[in-house]
Amino acid sequence: MKVLKTGKIEQVLDRLAQQADVYAPMLRGQQSGFFSWRSYDEDYDDLMFDILNVYQPPKDIVLPQTEKMYSIHQDGQDVTIEPIVAEVEPKIIMGVRSCDVRGIDYLDEVFLTKGYVDDAYKARRDKLTIIASACYNPGTNCFCDSMGVSPTDPESADVIMREVTGGYVWDVKTEKGEAVTKQIEDLLEEQEVELFPLKSFLRKVDYSGVAEKLKDMFEDPMWEKYSEPCQTCGICTYLCPTCYCFDIQVKNWGDEGYRFRCWDSCMYREYTQMAGGHNPREAATERFRNRFLHKLQFFPERYGRPLCTGCGRCIVTCPAGVNIIKIIDTVKEAETGA
Amino acid sequence: MNYTKEIREIATRLLENEQVDMVMAWEKGDLEYQTVPFIARTVDEVSRIVCDEYSIHNLSNSLLRFRDGQEKIAIVVKGCDSRGVVRLLEDNQFPRERLYIIGVACPGVKDPLLAMKQNSGFEKVQDQDEGLASKCRYCLQPNPVIYDELVGEEQPLAELQERFARIEEIEQMSADERYQFFEDMISTCIRCYACRQVCVACNCRTCIFDETRPQWVGRETKIGDNMMYHLIRASHMAGRCVECGECERVCPVNIPLMLINRKLIKDVNGFFGPYEAGMEYVEGRKPPLSVYKENDPDDFL
Repeated sequence: MKVLKTGKIEQVLDRLAQQADVYAPMLRGQQSGFFSWRSYDEDYDDLMFDILNVYQPPKDIVLPQTEKMYSIHQDGQDVTIEPIVAEVEPKIIMGVRSCDVRGIDYLDEVFLTKGYVDDAYKARRDKLTIIASACYNPGTNCFCDSMGVSPTDPESADVIMREVTGGYVWDVKTEKGEAVTKQIEDLLEEQEVELFPLKSFLRKVDYSGVAEKLKDMFEDPMWEKYSEPCQTCGICTYLCPTCYCFDIQVKNWGDEGYRFRCWDSCMYREYTQMAGGHNPREAATERFRNRFLHKLQFFPERYGRPLCTGCGRCIVTCPAGVNIIKIIDTVKEAETGA
Repeated sequence: MNYTKEIREIATRLLENEQVDMVMAWEKGDLEYQTVPFIARTVDEVSRIVCDEYSIHNLSNSLLRFRDGQEKIAIVVKGCDSRGVVRLLEDNQFPRERLYIIGVACPGVKDPLLAMKQNSGFEKVQDQDEGLASKCRYCLQPNPVIYDELVGEEQPLAELQERFARIEEIEQMSADERYQFFEDMISTCIRCYACRQVCVACNCRTCIFDETRPQWVGRETKIGDNMMYHLIRASHMAGRCVECGECERVCPVNIPLMLINRKLIKDVNGFFGPYEAGMEYVEGRKPPLSVYKENDPDDFL
């Protein structure tokens, strides 16, 4: 087995960064997320390969929070509109957990399948290599296995790093994975090691049949009950590795301007605000219900799998204690046919 | 702190006598350190109420959801939360008659969000006793400033010498250094608006940041728009922030928002004071920035 010793991680990052922009899990000041190795500052940043996960998922590497689309230039009666095509550099995300790899799979479904291909997304995705990090020790709020994600074998990873004593087994899965491995081959060692066993999950939830049942639960009192403490901030949607909703907006100064796409959240009133002033989801309960129906019913109806990877971030960070597991459990236990 | 028994007794009495339609308090989540907002509407639901060392969530902001109704509401408040209630009364967001305020003398509480983070595997430091929440270390008023009924022994006021120490350091920076400091701090904002949503001072019906005609602040997460968001929010907080620290506590990217708020508190007190927001409810009295006086200082403009 090829093994990467923990002490050589920085060398690997340096080497890979020669040909790609490499993102690694870091604590940057108070920020916990995937940051570019090129911007690493040892006085300020801490590499975080050894913790369960970082708060900010790698979503913005494939779907930037803000992205320019067209420039607008007006000259008298003439208007020039030109697409803004950002140059895409190859990128590598290293140390991604299975839940977040699955998050990228779902973004792929949305932006690349069902008859429409988003060019900007595709350009970034084609040049992305995913070096995942297998999980053997799930956290207090992890439930990825309940959502059909394998913590140790993320399907679309190009390489899987498997933590062992003193380092990581370097498990190459795809051609892209072969390509990055070639660059660092001399930093890997051939060694026989024993993998850790997967520890059991503390949280479990049974999702089977939930999408089907939800069809009859649009008016269920559970929505009122569970949404009561919700403060309709966007923490859950912005820290979610799968939430992909975006808005398209414009900025103008005199004769110049540009159109851009930016993340949006279904928890915001503005999300469904219509031009005439009507808002079909004025109340917090309606927005709350939509978020969960999208994740647990609408997305599975269209793509076959729920839009939740069990990473647990929304449970950990929600100031009001909203818990998606509780909602799935309630649906599961509900008597339908009412 | 554990006043669960006392609060449940009061809640039962109030609901039984139909003195109120609901009691705003907290309940336990599914982990021992999770205490989350809860509204009991029937005597049966009272047994879910808790008031323990993790009852940190400031409930006063939740009153806004009921401001257009007729319900009579009992609300449990700590010292800081009670100042939020005073602010709502001052801003005519709620008539006093609709409230039954259950005050809790607060010895300081712990932060369930911090405990959650430390126990979830997302932080390097784990399974530590996290101690008092950081907002409680700067607490000016542990005792409710307005209440109909008080639970617990009145707490001594702490000497706060360090309250503005960091602010004074930042004031000493050169303009460029200070700009850089705030740019670094605010550029990481993801604009989830959690700081606004938990804030009791944010009681506008339509927030300027949600306006679309015209759109006052752009939606890009770039320094320009982020700076506009935080600067406008800051100027709206002046004289209104009750220092409950909820904004900083809930921020998912750990922006030290109380630095901005404390600077405003210091300046409003210096220019228009002596003044501490929401420290006392006097019917008809307005905070300094809600009134105009001819001798208001303006040399900082």
